[in-house]
Amino acid sequence: MLNTERRAVKPTISAKGPPRIAIIGCGAVAELLYLPALAKHPPVLRNLILVDRNKVRAQKLAEKFKMSNCLVDYRDVLSKGVDGVIIATPSHLHYPMAMDFLASGVHVLCEKPLAESADQAREMVEQAQKTGVALLTNYQRRLYASYLKVKELLTDGTLGEPLSIQYFEGEEFRWPTVSGFYFNTKISSRGVLLDRGAHVLDLICWWLGEKPKLISSQNDSFGGREAVAHVQFEHKECVGKVKLSLLGKFPCVFIVKCEQGVIEGDVFDFRSVILTTRSGRKKRLKLKSKEKYYTDFGYTMVTNFLNVISKGEKPLVSGADVLDSVEWIDECYKAASRFNMPWYEIPEMRNGR
Amino acid sequence: MADKETILVTGATGFIGGWLVETLYLNGSAEVRAGIRSWSSAARLARFPLEIVFCNVLDKEQITQAMAGATVVIHCATGLRDVIVQGTKNMLEIALKLGGKRFVHLSTTEVYGNVSGEIDEKAPYQYTGSEYGDAKIEAEKLCWQFYEKDLPITVLRPSIVYGPFSKDWVIRLAHRLQSGNWGIFEGYGEGICNLVHVADVVSGILLAIRHKRAVGEVFNLNGPEMITWNQYFQRFNAALGLPELKVINPSGSRLRAAILQPVKASARFVLNHLDSPLKKAYERFREARAIMQFAEKSIKATATSTELNLYNRKAVYLTSKAREMLGYHPSFNVDAGLQMSAGWLNHLGLVN
Repeated sequence: MLNTERRAVKPTISAKGPPRIAIIGCGAVAELLYLPALAKHPPVLRNLILVDRNKVRAQKLAEKFKMSNCLVDYRDVLSKGVDGVIIATPSHLHYPMAMDFLASGVHVLCEKPLAESADQAREMVEQAQKTGVALLTNYQRRLYASYLKVKELLTDGTLGEPLSIQYFEGEEFRWPTVSGFYFNTKISSRGVLLDRGAHVLDLICWWLGEKPKLISSQNDSFGGREAVAHVQFEHKECVGKVKLSLLGKFPCVFIVKCEQGVIEGDVFDFRSVILTTRSGRKKRLKLKSKEKYYTDFGYTMVTNFLNVISKGEKPLVSGADVLDSVEWIDECYKAASRFNMPWYEIPEMRNGR
Repeated sequence: MADKETILVTGATGFIGGWLVETLYLNGSAEVRAGIRSWSSAARLARFPLEIVFCNVLDKEQITQAMAGATVVIHCATGLRDVIVQGTKNMLEIALKLGGKRFVHLSTTEVYGNVSGEIDEKAPYQYTGSEYGDAKIEAEKLCWQFYEKDLPITVLRPSIVYGPFSKDWVIRLAHRLQSGNWGIFEGYGEGICNLVHVADVVSGILLAIRHKRAVGEVFNLNGPEMITWNQYFQRFNAALGLPELKVINPSGSRLRAAILQPVKASARFVLNHLDSPLKKAYERFREARAIMQFAEKSIKATATSTELNLYNRKAVYLTSKAREMLGYHPSFNVDAGLQMSAGWLNHLGLVN
């Protein structure tokens, strides 16, 4: 039985001084999130190791952040005596890489999604427990003041039981991906549900306290990576709907209706929510947040990771915390059917597939 | 067409290129190779497990690699002048150098300029000062130079191409109709719209590569039904289930278009510069976001002078040559095409 309780691990740093960290994968998330965050910890940055299969790319980032330790093969990091690694590679590599480090007693902060399947995620959590190291994962939306407020209101019962949850997120894909792995159908056939859905389905599991029951799952994959996914679910008296799209912009909102009121917000406005009480009174709640920009959450996550290693602080989001949502995403893929799309039923397209 | 040719499509993340690649993949008649410039707009393509290659038409090395082994090249990539002219030149040079390529170049009826009446392929080029139309003329001229060097080329000139995934004539127009600020342009919307459904354009492209007699020829690709722009707005509006359109005063439209032209240019600058202070404010402050979104909507819901001229153009691009030589038979009437487009917009949640 997996122990899914979030707990602090014993600090394992052997020598005095700042933790020695490596970033595995020098793509866009390393450049835009993790390196700027580590740059605010100069003693850590000084000894940081950058790893990327593409040496030129690693050197380019090393130069930009004024450091010099670069490696090509992540396995070489194991002999360098690092305390922790940040895995920022394409998602299909999270599992094998994390397993290697966890088994060697190295703490891991893994970019989302934690893994591409529930079996892999469970193994990772088990391995971390076995070796007594921390496995953290960057599901940073759990830190947004807006989503924390939803969690608080659902947990303390202020609004009564939830009756429905809707979460819609549709934007054209704009992430400046370096490797393009999101769209490489040779390495994975999982798309927006694995990528954006990792956050969204995790929030829903977290709000509800457990994984809801899947009612239906639809997407637009023709054997490749889906760009649009719809999921319907239920949990006790609550029904819910998630719509995700990379093909166009629609209002990105979440709406949680409860017995005693409604809480809703803009997916990308992490500092306010709108609360409607049972009497119909609507009020925008401005929420306190020490993070001003999205990149600030990277700093919070990285700082927590360093403190987990050196001070035994509790992880903000551990691998075990997100197991429910990883399992749920697996279920959604297994149950998925393709949308009815008449624009792919025209004569010239018939014959084969 | 021989069995299982390998077809390279440039501009595969674009509207027509995307449809072509999807059609070729789904009908399974050829090995399709989707040429893209960057990953950022590949979400649509990646739904299909097809071969994606980098083919920035301004990068000769990439073109050479992308074209190796392909027997047919369909050049759909477009962009600013440099991409259209130099990009086409690069494609033609490498196709000639590698040899054994059948080349189809996607041009436009814009090469005829501001004309009126019935226009067939014999009508001359007319420069108008429009970057797009003038660059497409240059690109076509290059095609004919390479045809003289024995590169088997066909040039296709689609008119106003609409259908699912069309940014210009479906998404943007739907948003305009929905804004309540769009309507029937009295005196400016009575030009002929020349709508052709993208699936019909794709069928024209497939016919062009199937017929040897298409080599060295140019064909207009237009739809089966000629309606005015105002009728298009009304029929699309009805397909979207929106309230009836109001009549818009032509002089007011002209004035608004003239006033908003420079505003549009500066807004584009802000949106294209991720580091700008305005962009930062957009991210941080909800109020700034609301104001900018409102401004963006108002700007987008106003016709430009170029658009007003287009809505007034009384030209019909004839397809008799394509019908006779290739058996081109556009099948989507406007209502069927608009129903499909509205259904697609609803499916993606792009309209309310």
